[in-house]
Amino acid sequence: MYFQHNLVLWLVLLVLPVGVSIFMLEVFSAEIVQHVPIGIVKQDRSQLADEFEQGLRASPVIEVKTMCAELSDCEHAIIRGDLTAFVVIPYDMERRALRLETPVVPIYSSGQNYLTNTFVTKEIRSVFSSIGANIYTKAMEDPVKVQLKSVGNIEANYQGFLGLGLATSIFHLACILGAVYVMSFPFRDRRIREFLAAAGGNRAVLWAASLLPLIILEWLAMVGVYAYARKVLAPMTLDEFVVVSAAQLIMVLACVGAGTSFVGITGNMRMSSSVAGVIAGPAFAFAGQTFPLMAMPIAVRGFAFILPLTHILKVQSSMLLGPIGKAHAWDSIEILIGMAIFWMLLGGRLMFFRWKWGAKREPRIVELDKLNAREAFKFKAELEAKIAEKKAVIAAKKAAKIAAKVAKAEAKKAAKEAK
Amino acid sequence: MFEMIKRLLKVAFTEWKLFYTDPAAVLLLVVAGVIYAFYYPTPYMNQTVSKVPVAVVDMDHTVMSRQLTEMSQATQQIDVRYIFSDVAEAEAALAREDIYGFMVIPHDMEKELRNGETVTLNVFTHGAYVMLHGNIGTAFTTCGLTLGATTKVKRIALGRKVPAAKAMAMRDPVPISIETMYNSTGSYSNYVVPSVLVLVLQQTLVIGLCVLGGPRAHRRFRRKYRETPVENEKLFYRYFGRSLAYFFHYCTFILFYHFVIYNIFDFPRRGELLPMVAFAVVFLFCVINFAMVLSQVFLRRETSMQVFLFLSMPVLFLGNFSWPLYLMPTWMQAVAYAIPSTFAIPAWLAIEQRGADIFDAAALLYPMAIQGVFYMVLGLVMTRIRDGATLINNTGDM
Repeated sequence: MYFQHNLVLWLVLLVLPVGVSIFMLEVFSAEIVQHVPIGIVKQDRSQLADEFEQGLRASPVIEVKTMCAELSDCEHAIIRGDLTAFVVIPYDMERRALRLETPVVPIYSSGQNYLTNTFVTKEIRSVFSSIGANIYTKAMEDPVKVQLKSVGNIEANYQGFLGLGLATSIFHLACILGAVYVMSFPFRDRRIREFLAAAGGNRAVLWAASLLPLIILEWLAMVGVYAYARKVLAPMTLDEFVVVSAAQLIMVLACVGAGTSFVGITGNMRMSSSVAGVIAGPAFAFAGQTFPLMAMPIAVRGFAFILPLTHILKVQSSMLLGPIGKAHAWDSIEILIGMAIFWMLLGGRLMFFRWKWGAKREPRIVELDKLNAREAFKFKAELEAKIAEKKAVIAAKKAAKIAAKVAKAEAKKAAKEAK
Repeated sequence: MFEMIKRLLKVAFTEWKLFYTDPAAVLLLVVAGVIYAFYYPTPYMNQTVSKVPVAVVDMDHTVMSRQLTEMSQATQQIDVRYIFSDVAEAEAALAREDIYGFMVIPHDMEKELRNGETVTLNVFTHGAYVMLHGNIGTAFTTCGLTLGATTKVKRIALGRKVPAAKAMAMRDPVPISIETMYNSTGSYSNYVVPSVLVLVLQQTLVIGLCVLGGPRAHRRFRRKYRETPVENEKLFYRYFGRSLAYFFHYCTFILFYHFVIYNIFDFPRRGELLPMVAFAVVFLFCVINFAMVLSQVFLRRETSMQVFLFLSMPVLFLGNFSWPLYLMPTWMQAVAYAIPSTFAIPAWLAIEQRGADIFDAAALLYPMAIQGVFYMVLGLVMTRIRDGATLINNTGDM
């Protein structure tokens, strides 16, 4: 019944989660950071300085955007955000390098942007060390080479690092918000009696009928987006798909249960949406995929633990490690099962009370909303008559009480006088 | 003139009173801005990630391999918790998340280096954690390259018969020195939180304004006030009077963030008075008008909240600070240019974090001002259309 002509519900349940998830995957479609703008202050006009400049220009990670005449020009460009870093090639650099005086080349980088700063400094260091090494030790190879590999994300691309997690966090929010919407809109529209009647007056039936379509829809959408993302990033095995899908279903149950509980506690859509937003909105920042959990304060780690997102991300990330990872995914799935049972039971219990209480309060208001103008006028007149009647009864009672009091006082007075 | 100001202020004051009397508005326009300012920075209170648990798979078992392990242990970023002899053990530890990365020292490393050969050290990190990948990679790479540099200096000194100091200069004749400005400690909270604060201001203002119906006459949630003169003011007074209320209210938030939040969480505070004032005026002008336009779309108060909760994350990523905007697809860049935060976040970072003066800030504020004017015209037109529409009881769900 609730799926009928309800645009916002479709937006919250399907259109926005799927759309925003795919959007988040597309954000990182460049995969790695490239063309970071830098500037050069070239004080030395030598062949070596030209070689450094060409080396920097040849790098795919950086893009020499400005040749600054003065140091302050580049500094202001950094302040404005036009550049991320600038290199100062000092006077007499070549001459001093050839004399083995080791002239230092200062690199000024804006640490404000953690990501681009890391990439740009690494790349500049690499360009300078490789060109510098050619001066005296061209034929001599570096004795130690280091190869950095990211397990499960071989190319170390950001779609793999963040895209999957972000898509999951969107569904985490969608499940909680969807449950909030589905459970609270009969309260907002004052249709509890209508819904209860459709469920044959059975609250258990209403609970199951409200949640089942939501759970199935969210789960299928989430599995679909995950499969699409893994298809883009790296192929997935069947057993991995089964384990992750099962874990995602449990996460959906836990989130839907949590959303139901928020409605059960607050009793209205506005407040429960706010609670859901405060908890699930920034959940990704707490889930440990960007900033690791171990570096967070203990209380924050506790909060992260109660978020289903933290555990589903662990399941997904352990899948990246192949068969060994799969064996360890079970620990997180167990926690998710516990969460799903707890939230579902709590949400169900609270909603049973809310429906019972809400149905008692509802009828008069519902009818007023549904009546047409003439009926409403008639109803209003009847209501006013009833109120007037009640008021008259109260006034009569009050008058009788006062009369009794007066009579009592007079009797007392008479008795006193007689005495 | 005096009469006009009086009428504008009357509308503004009535609207301001509403912020504190309507529970939904209190939550969004007063509480959320304060709560989020404390809530978001808490995960990053330790600022940097240090001593990440890692392992070393030592297949060489020589003095040099032990020196390399000790060197790794001495770095700030990582903590060598285990030394394994087998890669499988390290993989199992990685799966249990006892460690987040490991370095493999190959068999006969010392022998090969002494024989003048080249050795490759493999460093593996967990593919799900971007920041740990960077930290572990940097620490192990630095140690590996230091070992390589020492070996190379020895080879140069012995091969070319030069003193060690000269050999060192020959190995790296042009050393570089990296000066990290504006965030010398590499703090993650300095990187993330200031931008998020701007987004918090924008999102709470947009949702709050939509919840309160923007400049609309006959707001559905104010049945008993519908006939009051303030609710039925002319479009001009209603639009700009209410805008004024939001403007002054959010000015207090900017001051609160600048003087309280930045102090508590120890963020660099380099903002000068003039650029800060210019930013506040342009940013709030732009966001208020943006919200005024959006408020005409939603008829139910909660809908804006539900929709914008989903959109917060894309808007954050379009803010040009976590991932460069120029690396995103063209259509995303086009979407980004329609959102105030795309210009506001870089402007705020330039002014408050990097101490931009008014000349540097001006270039960043112009696009936002143009956006503001565009949304103001659109907002006035849409409000006029909306005011003309009849008030229906069952307005659907939007």
